[in-house]
Amino acid sequence: MSKKIQVSTTINGEPVEFLCESNQSLLEVLRDGLNMTGSKEGCNNGNCGACSVLMDGRLVNSCLVLGAECEDTKITTIEGIAPKEGLHPLQQKFLEHAALQCGICTPGFIVAAKALLDTNPHPTEHEVRYWLAGNLCRCTGYDKIIRAVLDTAGVSS
Amino acid sequence: MQQPSLLGQSITRIDARAKVTGQAHYPGDLTMPGMAHAKVLFARRPHARVRHIDISAALALPGVLGIFTGADVPNNEYGLVLFDAPVMVSELENGNLAAGNAQNLKLFDGIVRHIGEKMAIIVAETEKIAEHARSLIKINYEDLPAITDIHEAIKPDAPQLHPHYPGNVIQRYRVRRGDVEAAFAQADVIIEDTYWMGAQEHAYLQPEAGLAYIDETGRLTIQVAGQWTHEDQAQIAHALKLPLDQVRVIYPAIGGAFGGREDMSVQIVLCLAAQRLNRPVKIIWTREESMIGHHKRHPFWVHAKLGATKDGKLVAAKINGMSDAGPYNYTSNKVLGNFTGTCVGPYDIPNVAIDSAAVVTNNIPSGAFRGFGAPQGLFVAETQINKMAVALGIDPVELRRRNCWHDGTITPFNTPVPPGCSLNEVISACAENKKLEGAAPNASFSILNSKFAKGTGFACGHKNIGFSFGYPENSACTVELHGNSEIEQAIVSLAGADCGQGAHTAFLQIASEALSLPREKIELQLSDTSTSGSSGSASASRLTYMTAGAIVGAAKAALAKWQDEERPVKMHHVYRPRPTTQIHPQTGEGDPNITYAYIAQSAEVEVDIATGQVHVHNLVCADDVGRAVNPQQIVGQIEGAVSQGLGYAMLENFVTEGGYVKTAHFSTYLIPSVLDMPDRVQSIIIEHPDPTGTLGIRGMAELPLMIVAPAIVAAIHNATGVWVNELPVTPDRLRQALKKQH
Ligand code: FES
Ligand code: FES
Repeated sequence: MSKKIQVSTTINGEPVEFLCESNQSLLEVLRDGLNMTGSKEGCNNGNCGACSVLMDGRLVNSCLVLGAECEDTKITTIEGIAPKEGLHPLQQKFLEHAALQCGICTPGFIVAAKALLDTNPHPTEHEVRYWLAGNLCRCTGYDKIIRAVLDTAGVSS
Repeated sequence: MQQPSLLGQSITRIDARAKVTGQAHYPGDLTMPGMAHAKVLFARRPHARVRHIDISAALALPGVLGIFTGADVPNNEYGLVLFDAPVMVSELENGNLAAGNAQNLKLFDGIVRHIGEKMAIIVAETEKIAEHARSLIKINYEDLPAITDIHEAIKPDAPQLHPHYPGNVIQRYRVRRGDVEAAFAQADVIIEDTYWMGAQEHAYLQPEAGLAYIDETGRLTIQVAGQWTHEDQAQIAHALKLPLDQVRVIYPAIGGAFGGREDMSVQIVLCLAAQRLNRPVKIIWTREESMIGHHKRHPFWVHAKLGATKDGKLVAAKINGMSDAGPYNYTSNKVLGNFTGTCVGPYDIPNVAIDSAAVVTNNIPSGAFRGFGAPQGLFVAETQINKMAVALGIDPVELRRRNCWHDGTITPFNTPVPPGCSLNEVISACAENKKLEGAAPNASFSILNSKFAKGTGFACGHKNIGFSFGYPENSACTVELHGNSEIEQAIVSLAGADCGQGAHTAFLQIASEALSLPREKIELQLSDTSTSGSSGSASASRLTYMTAGAIVGAAKAALAKWQDEERPVKMHHVYRPRPTTQIHPQTGEGDPNITYAYIAQSAEVEVDIATGQVHVHNLVCADDVGRAVNPQQIVGQIEGAVSQGLGYAMLENFVTEGGYVKTAHFSTYLIPSVLDMPDRVQSIIIEHPDPTGTLGIRGMAELPLMIVAPAIVAAIHNATGVWVNELPVTPDRLRQALKKQH
């Protein structure tokens, strides 16, 4: 057995310490180590975006980030998006617009959309589409997802 | 007081909150104390004899809990329609099978027939150890020549791939109506062409996963994603030789299915492992394992001939079609039936001759995928009629209006179209639609100095609702009513799978209508074989149609007892739609389908002549859903099905070579991203009640996928003058076709 690495990080505002193998991805750490299964694995090689999380505010595919890289970073996952009570506006708009079906892609889309709106609160439709091009959805055909994000931003489409 | 019914309202799905917060549990998210982890060893060769399986080194690895092979499966066979596939391929020992298994010794003769064949399930304390142990299993194979081309497979001297299927054919259909040859001799215009459609992968974003364990009552239980709880239960019980009630199947949240979860994947092997080890065992397939581990949409080769008079009356159609079934039936015979019923389109053609066959090869098995043979049948039928329209100089919509089905039109099966045919209305609604103004361009390509050509295309189609060809369709529901003077609570139990399509929300809405109760008073018990009877499968656009019958039937029976002052009430109802028949083996005569739903689409495309890139600007879809249970969810179904149809038409190229898959990741097997979508998909919901069903509801979920390809191919022709007869129309293929022409 290889030596485990000790990592101190912040996840959804809480300080977290974990041990991981040097080759373990952040996604594996979240799902298997910390039992935070909101981030999904659709491909494990950076193609689908189901595992999207924020790392110091930046959108990353957690399947492509090593657990060991998280030392001293701030990670936000789908579990940390909603306020204590109620839902984040993006979550609310996804409900209203029926922007999900099976829902396996939904956490990734919401995290990715949050990353966009955090830096660009009033994006154009074009910007939303390009920003979300790294997230695959097999069920919805995307239109309702785009509407939900634009509506959250208060941009009419 | 009469409560407002939820039927017809765009209520939010009942599982949405859990899904947007990451709280919904899919099979891969489940854990249990003491849980072990499993991996499956796949054969990864297309055709081979298994001389010897040596698991000793793998078993000796610390942390390994057990390894099970075909010899451990009490009844080593499975299949949705026919038991013709081994759960795991056993070794051939001195010409005998390893002890104990298979009712049909001749079948499980130690032969690997495709690369995704399972050889062993390895269970260990961790997934990593299971993976390591898997690499230590030694199998002595003797490779056999692989037949991966259907034309090779049907040659008289071809090696026979499966003992049940002499000539390498699983099923043939033969349909004869009128006299085609005489009619072709009289026709003014004849269109004749050959078509090829490749395989398609379901690519649900959640790969196969499951957790099997012994539940608190001692029952072998599995939580897994499937499409038909009770069928999974039956197949597990059959293979493990257990009484039905000793197997329990539960579906947690399901991450998409589209037909791809209709056959067994992890179910049987995982249950075997949990039973033998008496421990919870979990498995998750990787994307690559999912790609090779489950079936695909059938590739089809089709030769088609269509004749018409110069005033636009279709007079004769002839089809010779073959599907690549892979080595086992799965649902190939049924898919072939649907292909046969759609390949000349929903048109009144007095002279028809169809010959179709499902052919055995060493490719990955083919099976159910949204549309179930109809996308292939309709690509041919609709492209043929679009070519005919061009040849006749008649508008394609007008040509369809002159020939389309109405109530009572005689179908190729020589029996009338069931009542409620709305095809003409659907065609008109789509054709008369005004284009959306001011749609923002998607701008997914912008190559400078290239020449762009714009065009539009049209297609329509029909799809049978439910299992056809004599299958005894049924769907069960139990309704319990509690209260005193008023009903305070209704418990509605049924199994129907919500694969993401919103079925459970639809059940609630139908129950609200049937019981005149608001949402708060209805409790649903869902997707667990221990709490309800079978709903049948979430497939064939049947679930809403059939469960509506079941829910309304059970509600009526319960309300009648309630009127008689019975408290509490519990009533069970099994809905059975009108029976269908097989078709005659020589003539195709019969009444194989309960009813149909209808659809029409128009596509507006722009082709980059230099690159062969096609962008769809606008796609209009008119869909007769009979009665819209939840309009917002229906639009979602349309948009999602269109994206899969667009992938099928243009992007999704499932490449195999000698039975090996070359596109086993999303980096090589491309499904549509948001940038590949049309700028706008415009959905037109038509509510022409289906008189055969319940509450007027028709099935709808497959239809919008079926005709995207022929509509786009017609639009490409309209733009460029080139017909492409192969799917998908990749830029490469289109460029070749354009080069030939220009
Ligand atoms: S699982 Fe990370 S991108 Fe697909
Ligand atoms: S809702 Fe199923 S993948 Fe997006």
